Amino acid sequence: MKALLIDSTRCIGCRACQVACKEWNELNAEQTTFFSGKGYQNPPDLSPNTWTLITYNEVEVNNRFDWVFGKLQCFHCNTPACATACPVGALEKTEAGPVVYHASICLGCRYCQLACPFKVPRFEWNKIIPEITKCTMCADRINAGLEPACAKVCSTDAIVFGEREELIAEAEERISKNPTLYVHHIYGKEEAGGTCVMHISNVPFKEIGFDTKIPMNPIVYNSSHAMKPIPYVLTGLGLVLGGVSWVVNRKKELEKETKMGKEG
Amino acid sequence: MTNHWIDIINADVAMVMGSNIVENHPIASKWLTRAKERGAVIINCDPRYTRTSSFADIYCKFRSGTDIAFVNGIINYALENNFINKDYVLDKTNASFLISEKYSFNDGLFSGYDSGTRAYDKTNWAYELDGNGLPKKDLSLQHPRCVYQLMKKHFNRYDIDSVCRVTGAPKDVYEKVCRTFTSTWVPNRVATWLYAMGTTQHTHGTQNIRSYSILQLLLGNVGLAGGGINALRGESNVQGSTDMGLLFHLLPGYLASPTKADQTLDDYKKNNTPKTNDPKSANWWGNYPKYITSLLKAWYGNNARADNDFGFNFLPKRSADYSHISLFETMYSGKIKGLFLFGQNPAVGGPNSNKERKALEKLEWMVAVDIFETDTSVFWKRPGIDPADIKTEVFLLPACSSIEKEGSVSNSGRWVQWRYKAIEPISESRSDLWILDALHKSVKKEYAAGGTYREPILNLNWDYGNGNEIDFHKEPDVHLVAREINGKFIQDKEVMILKDLKSFKKGDQAPSFAALQDDGSTSCGSWIYCGSYPGHTHEKNNMARRKKKDAINNIGLYPEWSWAWPVNRRIIYNRASVDINGNPLDPKRWVVRWNAIAKKWEGDVPDGPWPPDEKYPFIMKPDGHAWLFAANLNDGPLPEHYEPLESPVDNYMSNQQVNPAVKLWHKVNPEGNPIGDSTMYPIIGTTYRVSEHWQAGAMTRNIPWLAELVPDVFVELGFDLADQKRIKNGDKVVVKTARGSMDAYALVTRRFQPFQLNGKVVHEVGIIWHFGYSGLARGDSANMLTSHVGDANTMIPEYKAFLCDVNRKEGGVV
Repeated sequence: MKALLIDSTRCIGCRACQVACKEWNELNAEQTTFFSGKGYQNPPDLSPNTWTLITYNEVEVNNRFDWVFGKLQCFHCNTPACATACPVGALEKTEAGPVVYHASICLGCRYCQLACPFKVPRFEWNKIIPEITKCTMCADRINAGLEPACAKVCSTDAIVFGEREELIAEAEERISKNPTLYVHHIYGKEEAGGTCVMHISNVPFKEIGFDTKIPMNPIVYNSSHAMKPIPYVLTGLGLVLGGVSWVVNRKKELEKETKMGKEG
Repeated sequence: MTNHWIDIINADVAMVMGSNIVENHPIASKWLTRAKERGAVIINCDPRYTRTSSFADIYCKFRSGTDIAFVNGIINYALENNFINKDYVLDKTNASFLISEKYSFNDGLFSGYDSGTRAYDKTNWAYELDGNGLPKKDLSLQHPRCVYQLMKKHFNRYDIDSVCRVTGAPKDVYEKVCRTFTSTWVPNRVATWLYAMGTTQHTHGTQNIRSYSILQLLLGNVGLAGGGINALRGESNVQGSTDMGLLFHLLPGYLASPTKADQTLDDYKKNNTPKTNDPKSANWWGNYPKYITSLLKAWYGNNARADNDFGFNFLPKRSADYSHISLFETMYSGKIKGLFLFGQNPAVGGPNSNKERKALEKLEWMVAVDIFETDTSVFWKRPGIDPADIKTEVFLLPACSSIEKEGSVSNSGRWVQWRYKAIEPISESRSDLWILDALHKSVKKEYAAGGTYREPILNLNWDYGNGNEIDFHKEPDVHLVAREINGKFIQDKEVMILKDLKSFKKGDQAPSFAALQDDGSTSCGSWIYCGSYPGHTHEKNNMARRKKKDAINNIGLYPEWSWAWPVNRRIIYNRASVDINGNPLDPKRWVVRWNAIAKKWEGDVPDGPWPPDEKYPFIMKPDGHAWLFAANLNDGPLPEHYEPLESPVDNYMSNQQVNPAVKLWHKVNPEGNPIGDSTMYPIIGTTYRVSEHWQAGAMTRNIPWLAELVPDVFVELGFDLADQKRIKNGDKVVVKTARGSMDAYALVTRRFQPFQLNGKVVHEVGIIWHFGYSGLARGDSANMLTSHVGDANTMIPEYKAFLCDVNRKEGGVV
C-alpha cells in the first residue's frame, strides 16, 4: 500500500505543494485577503478548491521559539470512516492506498463529512450539482506510475511517497537517529487504525494543529441499513441550502465586481 | 559562488547571513537539508526570524546594516583565540605582506581621505616593495606593518560587548555563533557562507562581503569542498547576464568597459593588464590583451583589423556613472530621452520609486519588453495620474517566457545549462533574441541612410542565420550566438597550449581560452565561456550535457552535467585546497590532488596545470595571494563599521557616521531626495521577498494561485511595537519615511524582536517589496519608502536599512 510521509523538520513552508495540488487537479484560486490564518496561512481552511493547506505555527517548545509548518489534507485511512459511513459506496479505499471518490454514485448526503475524524471532506455548496471534495492522493498519477503532485514538487523531500511499511521503517529510523530532534511518535501509524498519510515532527503534534485525541482503532460506521432513507431527505435539504448559498454568494460576487470596477 | 549549489552538502557549518535561502531559493534548500542531515550545523543571522531561521540550528538576531560589526567581531574572536589556519594564511594569503608607511587608520578614517571629493588616495595602502618590485614579507607575522598585525590592531576594537552594543545581538547567542563558526579553522572542518541581497544592498555592501571573505580565508575555508563565499543569485540567469557584460562598467567576461583614458587599444591594454615580477605568480589577467582582441574580433569580424586597432574605438567610452540611481537622477533632470526595459520593472523595484516614476515622465519614449503588462509599462496611467498629462510615447513588446525559447541559463554556481523550447511562442510574443535582432536590423537600416559616427553600427559582425530582413516567423539561430560566444579561429594557426603545440584550421571552434590570441587570429564573445561549445554540431554543446556521473573524488561535482565557467571548474581557487606538495588539506572530501608519479592533477579541473609548488593558488591576483588586505576598494582596505545613511543611533565605533566614500545624492541633488532622522522616524525599516512572489511581482502577482497565497502587501512588526502603537494583527497601517508613505496590513509576530543598542531600545519592521498598482494582486510598493543612496563601490541601492514610522491607518480596515 502506497503512502506519504511528511516530516515537519524538513518542511520549509514554501507551499509549492499547495500550488502543485491546484495545478494538477485544476482547482481554482480562492479570493483571499491579507492572511486568513496564523502566520502566512492562506486560504483559511480546506475547501472544494483547496485540498491541501500548509499551516504556520509559532510555537515555544523547551523555551525555544520556533516556526513550524503543518500540512492538512485527507489522511487516506486504512479503514476510512467516510467509506464505512457512505451508504452507497461513493468513497472507496483502493488497494493502492488512496481513498477515492465516485461522484456519479454520490447522493450528496454528507455522512462522510460527519464521519471523518479529521474533518477533511468538503461539500460544494456553491454548485448546482455539488460533489464531495478532498485530496485524492493523486490516485490518477499513482495509477500512471507517478508520485502525487505535492511529493513531486517538494524540494526538500519533506513529503516522501512510497510503500507504507517502508515509510514507517524510514520514519522510525529518522527518529532513532535523531532522538532529541523528533517527537517519538509517527502520527498516522495507528491513528484511526492507521492512515496512508503519516507525519513526524519536532514539536508536539497538537502544537501544529493535529487532533491528538483520535482513537487508535478504526472508526467504523455500520449503520448503513438503518440510515438508508435519511440520505434522500438530507439530499433534498442539501439542495435547498445549496440554492440559498448560491444566491448569497452570487450577491457577494456582484458586489465585489462593482467595487473592482470602480477601482479599475 | 566560488563553489556551487550541490557542494553545500559538504559543509560542516553553513552560515546563512544576508540571505533567506529557504524562502528565496526554496529549490536549493534541498542541499542545505542534506547537509543538515549529514550533521552540519546551520547558523542563521538575520534581523527577523524567517523560514530559514526555523530551519537553522542557531538563530542570532542582529540589526539591519550592522553586518560588518557582527562579522568583524567573529574575525576578532578568531584572531584573539588563534582559531586560524596558520599554514593556509601564510601560504595562500597576503597576511605576511608589508604595507606602506603611509597607511594608517584613525577614528573611522583610513589614510588618504579627501573630504572634498569624498574619496581616498589608495596609493597610501600599497604594499612596500623590495628592489625587485616584489612585496616585502615577514613570514614570522611579527612586523608591525605586516597585514596580519595591522588586522589584529584593526579588529581588536570589535570585542564581543562592543559588537552586541552595535548590532543588538544577544551576547550568549553571539558567542555561540563565534565559537561554532570558528571551529572550522582545523583543516578537516569546513564552513560555507551563503549570502544574497541582505548583504549587498547597503552603503557598505562590498565591505560586508569583504568581512565574510577575510574570515573564510583566516579559517582556511576557501577553495575547499563545503567552503567558499557563495552569492545566491536572486534571478535564475543573473549570473549569465553579468557574465555577458550587463553591468555598465563591464564588457563580457568581466573585462573593463573603456573610459576616456583608453584612447587606443594599447592604452586600454596598459591600463587594465596587471603585471608581476614574481615568476611564481600565474597572474592570469596578464592575458587581458588576448581576451579584448578576441572580443573585438567577435563583434566586428573582418572590420576589426590590426590597422584600425581591431575596432577598439567603435566601443563607446564610459564617461559617467551609469548605475541605476545615477541613471534615474539624470532621467529626472530631463537629460535622457529614451529607455529600453527588458524584464525590468523600476516603478516597483527601483529605490525612491515616487521619484523614479516621476523621472519616467520626462522620457520622450519608453519601450518595455516583458511577458506581462508591468507597473512600469503603465506608469502613465498609474493611480493619481492623468494620462493626458504624460507626453512619453510608450511601447510594450510581448516577450517570450523562458519556456517559449531555447538558450542557456547560468546559475549561481556558474553552471551554464542549456534549455530547450517547450512550447511555441504564444500569440505575438517573441524571444529577446528575436527582438534584439530585429532592432539591430532596423537601426542598421537607418544608419545606412546616414548619421553621425555610423561605423560602430554598420561594421557590426551580425549574422545569426535568419536573413538580412526582419522576418516575423524566423528566429535567429541561438546556437550560432552560443558558438560566437565560445569563440573560434579566424585563420589557420599553430598555438602552444600548455607545453603542446597544436594546430587549428580557420573556422575551428576554440577548445578553451588558453587557445585565444591577441593578434586577431581568434574571436571570442566572452572568454570565460570559451569551451562551452567547442565544435560545430549540437552534440558539441557542452551546456546540454546531462550525465549523472560524479567525478573520482565523489564530492558532487558531476563534471559532465552541463558546463561550468571557467573551463568546467566546479570549485574555483581549488589549488588553495592542497598543501605545497599538492596533498589535500582535507583528504576525506578532497577537491584536487597532485599525482606526483603521473605528474598531473586529479579531481576537479585545477586552477591552472602547473605543479603545486610552481605557482601560487590565487591566480587571478597579480601577487598570487588572496587579499586579506585589499587596496583596490573605494572605501578602505579593511572593513569598518559605519551606520546606514538613515540610522537611529550614533556610530559606536567612530565619529564617521556614514561610509565616508559614498556619494550623498541628497546633497548633490536635494530635490526628491529627503533624508529622515530618528526624531520623526524612530523605527528601522527593511525590505525583502517571500517564496510566493518574484521580484517586482509582474509574473507572480498575475498568477491567481500565487495571488491567493499572498494577496496583499504586509508589514511585519513585533508585539512590543504593536502594543505601543495599538496595532493589532490584520490592521491596516501606514508606513512612512521622509520620501513617501504606503498602506499595508500589519502582521504582528514574535519573529521580530526589539534591539537593545547600548542601552537604547530600537524596533525594526520589515515590508515585502513585490507589490505595485498593476496586476491581479495589487498594493503599495515598499520602494516608495527607500532612498537614493548606494554602495561606495557598486552603487547598489541601500534597500535594506532606512528609518520609518508605522501607525494605524485612521478609518480602520480598508
